[in-house]
Amino acid sequence: MLRGTIVGFGRMGITHYSILNRHPQVKFVAVCDSSGFVRYNAAKYLGVEAYDDYHKMFREVKPDFTIAAVPTAMHMDVVKTAILNDAHVFVEKPFTLNPVQGNELLNLIKGKDLIHQVGYVVRFSDVFRKVKEFMDRKVLGELYKFKLEMNGPTVLHGAKKSWRSNRNEGGGCLYDFASHGIDLINYLIGPPDTVVGTVFQRIFSKDVEDAVISTFIYKGGLCGNLSVNWSDSSYRKPDNCFEVLGKKGKIIADLRTLKVFFGQKPDIEGYTQGWNIKYFPSLAKPVRFFVRGFEFTRQLDYFIDCILNNKPSEICSFDDGLKTDTVIEQIRENGTRDIINKTN
Amino acid sequence: MYNVQTQSPVGNDMKLQVEPFRPAVEKDYTALDKIIFGDNQFFGINHMSNEKAQSQAIRFKDSETIIKVIDNAYQAGIHAFMFNTHDRVKALCEHFRSHPDKYSDLRLYPSLPYAHKYANAVNESGMLGALNEFIFSGRTTKEAISTIIKGGKSIIKKDMIEVMKLLVDAEMRMFRDLPIKAVFLQNIITDLLLGLGVRDVFTEFVSHIKKKYGVEAAFNTANMPVLVDYLLDCGIDNPIVCASINKVGFSMCPNQAECEKALAEKPFRPIAMAIFASGAVPAKEAIEYICNLPNIRTIIFGASSREHIVDTMNMINSCWKEK
Repeated sequence: MLRGTIVGFGRMGITHYSILNRHPQVKFVAVCDSSGFVRYNAAKYLGVEAYDDYHKMFREVKPDFTIAAVPTAMHMDVVKTAILNDAHVFVEKPFTLNPVQGNELLNLIKGKDLIHQVGYVVRFSDVFRKVKEFMDRKVLGELYKFKLEMNGPTVLHGAKKSWRSNRNEGGGCLYDFASHGIDLINYLIGPPDTVVGTVFQRIFSKDVEDAVISTFIYKGGLCGNLSVNWSDSSYRKPDNCFEVLGKKGKIIADLRTLKVFFGQKPDIEGYTQGWNIKYFPSLAKPVRFFVRGFEFTRQLDYFIDCILNNKPSEICSFDDGLKTDTVIEQIRENGTRDIINKTN
Repeated sequence: MYNVQTQSPVGNDMKLQVEPFRPAVEKDYTALDKIIFGDNQFFGINHMSNEKAQSQAIRFKDSETIIKVIDNAYQAGIHAFMFNTHDRVKALCEHFRSHPDKYSDLRLYPSLPYAHKYANAVNESGMLGALNEFIFSGRTTKEAISTIIKGGKSIIKKDMIEVMKLLVDAEMRMFRDLPIKAVFLQNIITDLLLGLGVRDVFTEFVSHIKKKYGVEAAFNTANMPVLVDYLLDCGIDNPIVCASINKVGFSMCPNQAECEKALAEKPFRPIAMAIFASGAVPAKEAIEYICNLPNIRTIIFGASSREHIVDTMNMINSCWKEK
C-alpha cells in the first residue's frame, strides 16, 4: 500500500484525491492547503491529517508519493521538498516557471530512485493517444504543416485577484492554459527549433494575456501555428484541435473525434484510402474509476503503476515537462519583442 | 410531491425563508417514469463530436426552439423531463410556470449542479469566491440576509455539509412551483464525492431532498457498480442510480461486465442513459440491449426531432411489451 499526500487541495488536488482514493494500492495520509476552510473539512470528512505547512507535512508523514497541485510559482519548492524527502512526485502542469528551475529539479532527482510525472493530462486522452500512435508509426509520411488551436471559456470577465491573474505566479493564458497545447505539439511533433511571430492578446485580463498566437519552425521545413484563447465563451469547456499534414495524408483531432485522410490505401487495419472518421465512444476505453474524464484516471494510474513496478515514466516525466517549459520560455521571449495588443 | 410548509422540518430557519417552495398538484409519484426526456442536446453536450455539439448549440440558441421539441415530446406522451441546472433552464421553467394548463401532467427531474459553471467560476474567483457567488447570486438583499441567517452557522463552522445544502437550495430555486419527481446529483459531483468517500454528504443530500422538497434523491454516475455498493453501505435503501448503459460499453466503468452484474444482483433502481452511446449504436439494437437487461424500468433519452422522439418511444414501448 502506497502512502500518499497532496499539496494544494483546490479543484485539481481534490480531483486527484478522489481518483486515487479509490485505488486499491493507495492510501492518502495527509493533505496540505493554505485555506482553513479546506483544512477543516479535509480533516473532518476525509480522515486525513491536514497541514498548512508542507515542509512539516513531509517531515512528519514521510509519504511514499506526493501530488503537487499548487500554483505554478510554488512547484519549485514543493517538488524540491518532496525529492529531498524521497517521495515520488506528480506535479501539475506546467512543470515550473522557467527552464532554470526545471533543470535544477531534474538535476536534484537524477540518480534518485524516484518516479516523476507532470500533469499534462491531454497526453492520456483516448483520441490523442491514437494520434501519437500514428505519429510514431509515421503514417502520414514526411510532415510539412500543422496547427494547434486551443480554446475555452476559462476567463470571461475582468480578472479578479488570484494567482491566475499574476504572471509572476504562473498566471496568464501562456503558462496556465496554452501549456497544454504546447505540450501536445511537443508530444506529437517535437519541440520547434525556432519560434517566431508571437503575439499576446489581452481580452478581459488586465495584467496577463488571454490569447497567444505563435509560429513554430523546424529544421527541414516543417512549420506550424499555435493559436490559443482562454476567453472564448462559445466553448462549453476547453478543447484542443490539432491538424497535421504530411505527404501521405492528414489528421484532424480533438478530444472527441479523430479524422484521418489517406491519399493512398494505408497499411493500417480498420483504415482505408480517403477519409476515416472515429468518434469518441469507439475510441474510449472504460477506466477503473471515473472522475471528470477517462484521461484523468489514466494519467494517475500510470503514475502509480510506474511506482509499483519501479519503471520510469515514459509518457510525461520531468524531462518532458522541462522540454515544454523551454518552448514556453521561447514563446515568452519572442512575444515580449512584439507589441502587446490590448483590445479593450 | 413536496410541500415545504408542512413537510420541512428545517425548523425555525424556515420562518426566514423568503421564497419557499409551494406545493404543486398532488399526485401519486411512487413509481419512476418509464421514459424520461433528457436535455443534453439542447445545451451543446455531445460525447461523439464537437461539431455535432456545436451544430446543436446553434440550432437550440433560442428557448422557443427547445420548447418546440419539448412540446413534441409532451404531445407524444412523454411527460417526464430531466433538466440540468444550466442557466438557460430558468427560461424553460418560467415557460412551464406560465402555462400550467398546457403542462398539467408535467414531471421534472432536476439534475444539479451544472458543474461547468462552477469550474469556470472557481478559475476566476477561487473556491470560496465561487461558493459565495452561487449561494448569493440573483438574490435580493432580503433573501441574501435570510440565507446568511440560515447558513450563518455553517459559515461560522465552515461546514461543507451545510454549504452543500445552501448550494442545493440555490440551484433548486429555478424549479419553484413546478412538480418535481426526484432530484439528481449530477455525475461529476456524485463521482467526485464517491471518490472522496464522504458518507455524510450522500446521506445528508438524501435527507435534505426528502425534507425540503418531499421527493427522493437520485444519483447520476459513471461508476455504477461502485456507487451502488457505496450507497447501500451508507444505508440508502433501493437507491435510484442513473448511469450510461449501452451495448458498446461506452462510459460503463469499471467495465461493461461489472455493470451488467450489478444490474442483475444489486437491490437498486437503475435508470439507463446514453443508451445510443452518442450514436455509436443503432437505435433498435440499443433498445433491445437495454430491454434484455434485468431490472431496468426507466430509460432517459434525448432527441431533437418529433419523428426521432416518436420512433424511439414506440421502439422502447414495444420492446418492453414483448418482454
